[in-house]
Amino acid sequence: MTQQESEAFQRMWTRRGLRSEFRAAWAISTNIWKIELSYPLSVLWFIVMPFLWFIPMLITGTAVAGGSESVVLNDLAGTLDWVTYIAIGTSVIGLTISLMWGTGFSLRREQNAGTLETLMTTPMNRSTLVWGSMLHNLQHGGLGVILQLGAAIVFFGVTINVWGIFPALGIIALAIIGLQGVALAITCIVLLAKQGWMIVEFITSGLLLVAPMAYPISVLPPILQYVSNASPLTWSTEAFRGFLMNGLAYQGVIQAVIALIILDVIFFAVGYLMFTYTERFVRRKGALEQF
Amino acid sequence: MTVAELNHQNSRLEESLYLRSFKPRLMDWQAAKVFALKNLRIAIRYPANFMIWGVLPLLWYAPYILMMVAIAGPGTSQHFTELSGFQDFITFSIIAVFVYQYVDKSIWSVGNNFRWEQFSGTLEPLFVTPVPRISILVGAAFSDTLQCTFSACVLLIISSLLFGVTYAFTMVAPIVVMLTMMVFALYGFSFLIAGMILVFKDPSVLTELISNVTYVLSPITYPLQALPSAARYASVLVPSTVAIITIRELAITGLFEPITFLQAAGWMLALIIGFWGIGILAFRWGENWTKERGSMGGF
Repeated sequence: MTQQESEAFQRMWTRRGLRSEFRAAWAISTNIWKIELSYPLSVLWFIVMPFLWFIPMLITGTAVAGGSESVVLNDLAGTLDWVTYIAIGTSVIGLTISLMWGTGFSLRREQNAGTLETLMTTPMNRSTLVWGSMLHNLQHGGLGVILQLGAAIVFFGVTINVWGIFPALGIIALAIIGLQGVALAITCIVLLAKQGWMIVEFITSGLLLVAPMAYPISVLPPILQYVSNASPLTWSTEAFRGFLMNGLAYQGVIQAVIALIILDVIFFAVGYLMFTYTERFVRRKGALEQF
Repeated sequence: MTVAELNHQNSRLEESLYLRSFKPRLMDWQAAKVFALKNLRIAIRYPANFMIWGVLPLLWYAPYILMMVAIAGPGTSQHFTELSGFQDFITFSIIAVFVYQYVDKSIWSVGNNFRWEQFSGTLEPLFVTPVPRISILVGAAFSDTLQCTFSACVLLIISSLLFGVTYAFTMVAPIVVMLTMMVFALYGFSFLIAGMILVFKDPSVLTELISNVTYVLSPITYPLQALPSAARYASVLVPSTVAIITIRELAITGLFEPITFLQAAGWMLALIIGFWGIGILAFRWGENWTKERGSMGGF
């Protein structure tokens, strides 16, 4: 080892602080982008994915409504414009799935590539691996939201209130904290069960089912309405749509923000504790690289 | 010469006799049967999967039904009745979801069969066995059809209980005929996908793409008339479309109209021939393309 290399090695080992962790997370995020963009089909899928999810909903809605207005939805959710209601609500699907699957399976992906142990021995916080993946999925899913909303505005006549954009982004930021808690819990399942995709599929699909993306929660059976109220995705979807449809005049803001803060604290604390415990447990068992 | 050496020589003689007398065939039903049994044996080791696949699709399709309820009110809408000729959109959708399970299975399981073998490290040994590849795919397809039938029936029963819908049980015979024809047409469709996956490798994106396009084109939660005219033409080329329309008509109305049924069966027969022809050609092309580049076992 040359002296220069040795100094770099020493510097790397003495690195500390939030800035260093952020740089490591950013490097992980950039690395995932590079891998994704090297598959042309992945790029194509990324572009068409938001449309392919939204179009069947649009056709189904048109088949039952017969136009762009719904009196039933007006009674349930206070808006006649079902296309805008669904377009904004479902635009969060991509971001949610990206966070759940992308972040939850980040360690598994590295394991499949044979790089997990190498990464675990680098001088960074273990959870930074998951945070880096989350950073990537936030960009990936966020671009998907923009793409779907942009296409909905251009092609399907969806209108959004520009004054609501910044508060809506604030809501997304709040939602990410709670969803990161879920993603950390999913990471634990993956670490323990290795595959565990079926459990993850149940959790993700269940969360999406009870979230008011394409319908208000009042159409759900009563028991599922309780579950829905305990999910950060419910409050964030409602508030995100509320701001983008009504701008600053959105009335449910205080209730949504308080609920989100409480749920964020609970979900994140539980998820983080679960992750710390599971990661230690798996390392102690020496099962980190096991398939 | 020891006994072991003698046995080894005999077995080599048998092997060479088999290989010398071997003639390439278009289809090896014995190999298909062995492969189907092998897959079924693996599947039976995980009995929970049968139940999970009977419940999981419900979580994917329930949002569509709930959305229809939120937009049009519980069960029906005037526009939907005018467009489709049916009163209840929940009854309308659930039977189609049942039929669509076979499409999903043909794309995700049969189409990806060689990819799963690749992950298990058994693809290359499989490809050096002296049996036609199509017989391996037919075997996989057959075992998947059996698994899918069980899961789809679980799904239909649970959905019917949950949403309180009923169908005409007297129409089971023509439904089974139409379903069988669709499954055969889907086999050809899955050969096509299997060929594409051999070439493109990355199954998740390609399969997602095909699966989502097929879903949009299939009249599951909406009637065919709700699709734009160009998409309608593409839709009738998907084997599930004719099957969904016919099976839905039979299951909901309980009326068997021989002429309509024969027309649908005729079209399905044309699709079977077309998809098998295209599927086998595409698969062979994909196989040769991959072999020439030596990327069969590559990821």
